[in-house]
Amino acid sequence: MSSAAPHIAVDNLRIGWGSRILIEHVTFEVARGSTLAILGGSGSGKSTLLRYLIGLEKPMAGRIQIDGVGEPHLYEGVPHFGVLFQSGALFSSLTLTENLALPLTAWTAIRGATARELCHAKLELVGLGPFGEHLPGEISGGMKKRAGIARALMLEPELLFFDEPSAGLDPISAVELDQIIVTLSRDLGITVVIVTHELPSIFLVADSCIVLDKTAKGIVARGDPRKLRDESEIPFVHNFFTRSSPDVSGEQHAIQGG
Amino acid sequence: MSAAIRANREGHRGYLAPSGTFDLAHAAAVKRAVEDAAPRLQGCSSVEVDLAHLDRIDGAGAVLLARLLDRLDADGRRTHVVESPNPKAARLIALYRGRGADRRTQARQTNALERIGAAAAELPGKVKQAFDFIGRSAIAFPKSIVSPRSVDWRSLPKLLQEMGANAVLVTSAANMLVGLIIGFLGVSQLKRFGSVVYVPELVVVAQFRELGPLVTAIVVAGRSGAGLASELATMKVSEEIDALQSMGFDPFRWLVVPRCLALVAVLPLLTWIGDVLALVGGFIATAVSTDMPPRAYFMATDQAITVSHLLAGLIKTPFLGLAIGLIACAQGLAARGGAAAVGVRTTAAVVLAILGVIVIDAVFTLIYAVTGI
Repeated sequence: MSSAAPHIAVDNLRIGWGSRILIEHVTFEVARGSTLAILGGSGSGKSTLLRYLIGLEKPMAGRIQIDGVGEPHLYEGVPHFGVLFQSGALFSSLTLTENLALPLTAWTAIRGATARELCHAKLELVGLGPFGEHLPGEISGGMKKRAGIARALMLEPELLFFDEPSAGLDPISAVELDQIIVTLSRDLGITVVIVTHELPSIFLVADSCIVLDKTAKGIVARGDPRKLRDESEIPFVHNFFTRSSPDVSGEQHAIQGG
Repeated sequence: MSAAIRANREGHRGYLAPSGTFDLAHAAAVKRAVEDAAPRLQGCSSVEVDLAHLDRIDGAGAVLLARLLDRLDADGRRTHVVESPNPKAARLIALYRGRGADRRTQARQTNALERIGAAAAELPGKVKQAFDFIGRSAIAFPKSIVSPRSVDWRSLPKLLQEMGANAVLVTSAANMLVGLIIGFLGVSQLKRFGSVVYVPELVVVAQFRELGPLVTAIVVAGRSGAGLASELATMKVSEEIDALQSMGFDPFRWLVVPRCLALVAVLPLLTWIGDVLALVGGFIATAVSTDMPPRAYFMATDQAITVSHLLAGLIKTPFLGLAIGLIACAQGLAARGGAAAVGVRTTAAVVLAILGVIVIDAVFTLIYAVTGI
């Protein structure tokens, strides 16, 4: 596979349920080692698009390719990617170490001391080294998310998906999590797709972005988020990046103190 | 190509050259190579690491190499990774260096004696929690009367339907089968003395006074007790109970009172229906295994049924219902953590509710025996 080939290629995707189309004509590519942010307001289909990218749902039309592989083989066998779900999605009956060891047990022959060593290293990487024997119920929300990242890394994926990683976290925890994402992307060369609407996160981690709008039922803007913030003339995109809302007369009001 | 590490030494200087594939798929080979390499560097004061011959390395390979270098450093051998031939691998190894493999926390193993000791040490706390819950419930019931709006009365019809009407089939079936069992057992034992005529009375007395309330309560404890505990435990772990409290509701009055009242109301009814079905079971057993005419069976049954027998059984049932409700709610509200806690509390609720039912029934039997009721 040539390094110039996109890591993810999404072509003319249409998603929805029954006769209801949520978004359509979704086409974008993600370069290897880069970070793409999927942006949009609540209900615009960001997280839903992510569910399609990771193979939890079948699109109504269109094609998703990862590393040049599309359906029907894309989601078979050893996962090509790791996923951090919004809540961390750790198994509450297992310790953090046991949670991390699960993918190793499922897909590799690594057991015992080597497995523990790998689990511990990943927990250390996300700053949770001393918490390996804790249950998810015994740690904070931010720690759960970091443990979720560690678990997503266990099979050494070259691609990671994050669903609103900093949602519900305090600013310090959110920045710490963003720093982990930056480390993964820049130091480990992992391709990252992140669903978020946290502006500080977007500007810190994303190389490029696509903006979804539920009214337009698709992508309304794409490119460098900093450029979109400064240059976009599309009202929704402008409002999104400047945290302003149109009033009934159509004028823009910046939200103070937000 | 698999993973290998060449380890040489020249005087006090060591040289490490990993080669091949250091990735997750070859983790076992990497681990072996790492373990073989360490002893060959005994006595070196410094070790140079050359990554030029690495074909591929990922996080797993980097972790194992980093741990080797950490151990060498800890033993006083200065390690130096030559970055120039493979900067990406050097960065990856650096990312996992010094992350304290030796500080790994291990689950502490405890022996049987320690576990018994720990359980005994927890007992006073658990008893205190139980009394605390009973006390809070005891306060909640009169407060509910004073302040009826603090109770979720709208849920009561649904609870009566769920715990009562929906349970009729299973409690009736259980009681009918118990009547059948008493019948067959009575016939087989009393036949030897020519006293088959006493089988109807045996069925009435055993079922009405003891087995009817007991069997019904055990089935309800398993069915509704599990449902209540898992419902409240799920509400607890998903912070719904906290939300109720934050809005000024007392979870005892809002949730526990209507559930306990529903059980107190439905258990006598379910027991009464079960008693009737048990008589049918006893009749079937007697009819198929003896030549006693049906009319004779019905007359004997009629004579055996007394208000005393009926009330001796039914009077227990509100207490049994209350016990099931309180135990299930207490377990549900005690849930901490995630989904696992729901399962643990549900299991505990069913086990404790059944045990509680048997203990209460035994206490009543003892009282009846002592007072001659």
